Amino acid sequence: MRLIWLLSLSSVAMVLALWAVATGRGWVTPIFLPSPEMVFQEARLVFLSGDLAQDIAMSTKRVFGGYALAALVSVPLGVLMGVWRPAKAIMDPFVSLLRPLPSITWIPMTMLWLGIGESQKIAIVFVGSWIYILLYTIESTKRVDPLLIRAARNLGASDLALMWEVILPGALPGILTGLKVTLAIAWSCVLSAEMIAAQNGLGALIWRAKAWGNLALVLVGMVCISITVLIADWIANRIERLLLPWERNRRV
Amino acid sequence: MSATSPILSAVAVTKIFSAGRGRDVTAVQDLSLDVFEGEFVCMLGASGCGKSTMLNIFAGFEKPTSGAVMLRGKPILGIEPRCGMVFQSYALFPWKTVRGNVEFGLKMQGISSAQRRERGAYFIDMVKLRGFENHYPTELSGGMQQRVTLARLLAADPEVLLMDEPFAALDAMTRQVMQEELLRIHEASGKTIVFITHSIDEALILSRRIVVMSARPGRVKAVVVNDLPAPRHVDVQMSPQYNALKMQIWNLVESEIRQHDEATRRLSRTDE
Ligand SMILES: Nc1ncnc2c1ncn2[C@@H]1O[C@H](COP(=O)(O)OP(=O)(O)OP(=O)(O)O)[C@@H](O)[C@H]1O
Ligand SMILES: [Mg+2]
Repeated sequence: MRLIWLLSLSSVAMVLALWAVATGRGWVTPIFLPSPEMVFQEARLVFLSGDLAQDIAMSTKRVFGGYALAALVSVPLGVLMGVWRPAKAIMDPFVSLLRPLPSITWIPMTMLWLGIGESQKIAIVFVGSWIYILLYTIESTKRVDPLLIRAARNLGASDLALMWEVILPGALPGILTGLKVTLAIAWSCVLSAEMIAAQNGLGALIWRAKAWGNLALVLVGMVCISITVLIADWIANRIERLLLPWERNRRV
Repeated sequence: MSATSPILSAVAVTKIFSAGRGRDVTAVQDLSLDVFEGEFVCMLGASGCGKSTMLNIFAGFEKPTSGAVMLRGKPILGIEPRCGMVFQSYALFPWKTVRGNVEFGLKMQGISSAQRRERGAYFIDMVKLRGFENHYPTELSGGMQQRVTLARLLAADPEVLLMDEPFAALDAMTRQVMQEELLRIHEASGKTIVFITHSIDEALILSRRIVVMSARPGRVKAVVVNDLPAPRHVDVQMSPQYNALKMQIWNLVESEIRQHDEATRRLSRTDE
């Protein structure tokens, strides 16, 4: 274990060193790639001014607004479509038509309807993520082991009990996987929305920095996005472990 | 006993599984069987002869292609909770602990959680799993999982117990303990039990009647009345009567397996 850590750490150190040497020796000009010190200085500045924290907070709020809304709509709808064919038949044409559209294609229309405020950002996150949550939910609902459904019926389960005691817990691991995958997608949605029209947020930060020709600040923004998504992912994994206690000691 | 009407009966049941493009499998053919209230019947037959299929039809999981199954004279048309099943492949709920699994049937019957806890604990004790109440099925060995399924069924207390090789994964000693428990339950509750096994010894120790099935397609090859004195202990296996019965059944089963082998050999020859 310790060796693995050491390897990971030294590979990161190597890349950083290479970067420092390449910029320090003037192999690449700072216009194309600022040095690590410049990036660090820039990070210190925006961090101390409090702007960075505010941008992170704004983006996070938007992501969770749209993402929570999408989950609230898509999980119940997906379960319904998974267990009841007519619901799937009704929804399928729309799902097929909407699925190929990237969330940025919704930006013009949402701006017309909602302006460039918070609700428009939330709407972009919503349209970009609900379909993935829906597809994962339908698939995992349909995949619940039919033998377990038989067993539950054999033990006298009603329709409602079957849903609550068997189908939902049986589909839960798949639904959570879908939610985790979609979380990263939701982040990319908010960033593109912020780059096109926003006063604040990490996407806006990067876009502003680019307009000023401040490449160091662009890099700071990118690193922040990475770290924020990683933290969100880590939290999602913890929640998953908490919700699926039976998956912890799975024998192979 | 033959004067009363049967609790469970199969009337000329045939089950054909179609796998498409003429690859149909006749799992059960023209099988008729009456099981009487309080009876302990064993079904014995080679692997793949349609035993599980027949049990699935009794439980209402599968519909016969032709023929019918009846419970107390009424046709079984859907899944029938009065015919409780111990599944060959356990079918435990992975998200429920041992306790949650065992109490499931009671919960479905709307029994209060305090009573559930008490009755569940009784059966968990009976299958020797005390101390494992809060374990998940994935954390148990195969034999332990099999005992959980047994406790889950007994706790739900159906009228007929359908048991598909419920002791197959147990070691010889645990199996013997479980067999004795099952006999005790049968004696005390007067429940009707249809029990599938591969083991002639197990059939002889447990049942009053042994249905020997033919190789696929499954039909009733012979019904052997097991009149060994009850209650039976392991030492019954020493008696000459036991050995005579065992020989008789062994000959029935062996000739089936022979015939089946020859049939498949002929089939593969025509395939070439
Ligand atoms: N759902 C199914 N679809 C297609 N064929 C099936 C299906 N279920 C069973 N069969 C076939 O029916 C035959 C009988 O199967 P069954 O499971 O009843 O055998 P069994 O007597 O219980 O065997 P074992 O002792 O190995 O459990 C087999 O040839 C099997 O391939
Ligand atoms: Mg079987």
